[in-house]
Amino acid sequence: MTPKDYKFTSEHEWIYAESGSKGKVGLADYAQSKLGDIVFLDLPTPGTQVTQGKKMGEVESVKAVSDIFSPASGKVLEVNQTVVAEPKLVNEDPYGAGWLVRVELSKPSELNKLMDNARYDEFVAELTEKQSE
Amino acid sequence: MGEQLEKTPLNKVHHELKARMMDFAGWDLPVWYTSILEEHKTVRSAAGIFDVSDMGRVWVSGKKAGVFLDRVLTRRVSKLEIGLSELCLLCLEDGGVLDDLWAYRLTADRYLIVWNAAHIEEKLAWLRRWAGSDPDIVIQDRSAATAMVAVQGPAVCRLQNLKGVCQLPRFGHSQTTIENMEVFASRTGYTGEDGFEIIAEVANARQLWESFTKQGVKPCGLGARDSLRLEAGMMLCGQDMDKTTNPFEADLGWLVEIDSGDFVGKSALLEIKRRGIRRKLVGFRMTGQGQGIARSGYKIARSGREVGQVTSGGYAPTLNANIGFGYVPIELARIGTKIDIMIRNKPVPAEVVHKQFYKRGG
Repeated sequence: MTPKDYKFTSEHEWIYAESGSKGKVGLADYAQSKLGDIVFLDLPTPGTQVTQGKKMGEVESVKAVSDIFSPASGKVLEVNQTVVAEPKLVNEDPYGAGWLVRVELSKPSELNKLMDNARYDEFVAELTEKQSE
Repeated sequence: MGEQLEKTPLNKVHHELKARMMDFAGWDLPVWYTSILEEHKTVRSAAGIFDVSDMGRVWVSGKKAGVFLDRVLTRRVSKLEIGLSELCLLCLEDGGVLDDLWAYRLTADRYLIVWNAAHIEEKLAWLRRWAGSDPDIVIQDRSAATAMVAVQGPAVCRLQNLKGVCQLPRFGHSQTTIENMEVFASRTGYTGEDGFEIIAEVANARQLWESFTKQGVKPCGLGARDSLRLEAGMMLCGQDMDKTTNPFEADLGWLVEIDSGDFVGKSALLEIKRRGIRRKLVGFRMTGQGQGIARSGYKIARSGREVGQVTSGGYAPTLNANIGFGYVPIELARIGTKIDIMIRNKPVPAEVVHKQFYKRGG
C-alpha cells in the first residue's frame, strides 16, 4: 500500500507536503521494482529551480537509465546525501529513507493535479493488468 | 510484445518464478528473478543456474566433419582431443566476425558447436554453403529439440547431481546421467567461475532445472549473465565484435591459428595482420566515481575529442566499480592511458586497464 498523504505523478514520482510550502520528493515503489537494483542517482543541487513535469535528474539501475521528473515546481532546498551514497535505499525504502530531495514549492496548488494514493494504486493496478495481458 | 518472441523449454518455469522478462535476440528470457546484484553475488560465492537454451546447438558429423570445421573456423579443431572443447571464431571471407562459438570434439568424426542466439539462420546457411552437398559432412541443428542450462559458481562440485562430472578437466565434457536423465555436460561457462553447461532433451528441461534449484542453486537471469561475463573480461558477439570488426582489433587474435591450414578469412586476416590494426578493444575502469555508468553506445573521448565508443559497460558488483569495454585508437590502447567516457554530454574520467577485471581466486 502506498502511504496516505503522498501525491503521485504518472511517471511514478511522489511528493509529500511537509508544510504548506515544503515538499519531499521520491520514487514510487513501482518505479524501483521496475528498475531493479539502483546503483546511481544524479540529482539537482540545492538552489536549482525545478518545474513540475520537467526532468530534474536521473536514476540508474544495474540494467537501465531512467529520467526523474519533478512532481512540483520550486527550488531544491536539500539533497538526501545518504541516498546518493547508498542508492539501494530507494529499493529498500522508497517512501522513507529513500527520499531524494526537498523542494521549496513555488506553486503549492500544483499538487492538486497529482494523483492521491488511492487513485495512484488504481493506476498501478491498471498498468500491471495491461502488462500481464 | 510477447506473441512473436521465441520461448525456451523453460519459459513456463521463469514465469512461474515471476521473473522480470525481456526480449533478448528474439527470445523471451528472464533479466532477473529477485535482483541482478543478488544473482551476481550468488554465482561469485555459491552457485547459480541460467537458462541458456537460446543459444544454438549444432552437431556436425561425418568422415569430413573435422576437415570441414577446420576450414570454416579460425582454429584447427580436428587437432582437439576427444573429450575437450575450445572457443573459436566463425569469420567471413573479409575477416569480419560472424560469431564466436564453442566447439566440442565428441568422437573422431563427431563435433558439437554451441553458438550465440542471434542470426542462427544466417550462420546455418553459411555453414551449409561451405559444406556443399558432401555426404561426409552432416550438419544437424538440434537447438529446438534440446534445452541447455549453465550451472556456475564455486560450489558446483558440492552439488549431489554433479558429482559424476567433477573429475572433468576445464573445457572437458562427457555424457552423464542426472536423476536418470541422459545429459551432456561440459566444464565450461561464461561467468569466470567454475561451472558446467548441460544439454538435455526438451522433455527433461524442467526436471533438470529443478534438480538444481531444489538443492538451493539460485535461478539467475540475463542481467547477471551480462555483469558476470563483463567482469570476467568475456566478450559478447554482436555487441563487442561483429561482421564489421576483425579478430585482431577485437583482441581475439589468440583465437586465430593463422599459421596452420587454410580457412575461410585467412588471406584477409593475414593482410590485416601485415598492415597492422588502427583501433583496439580495451577494458576501462571509471576513475570518476559517483558520476554514472558507462553503457553500450556511449562515446569515448580524449582531450575533448571523440576517439571511440563503448561496446559493453556496467556496474561491476565484485569490484564495486564501473567498468566497460570499448574501441580506441591503437595509440590509446596501452594500460594506464587516461580516457573520458561521455555520460550525458559530460566527460567522466576512466583509465585503460587489463580486460580481465575479475579473476577467480585472484
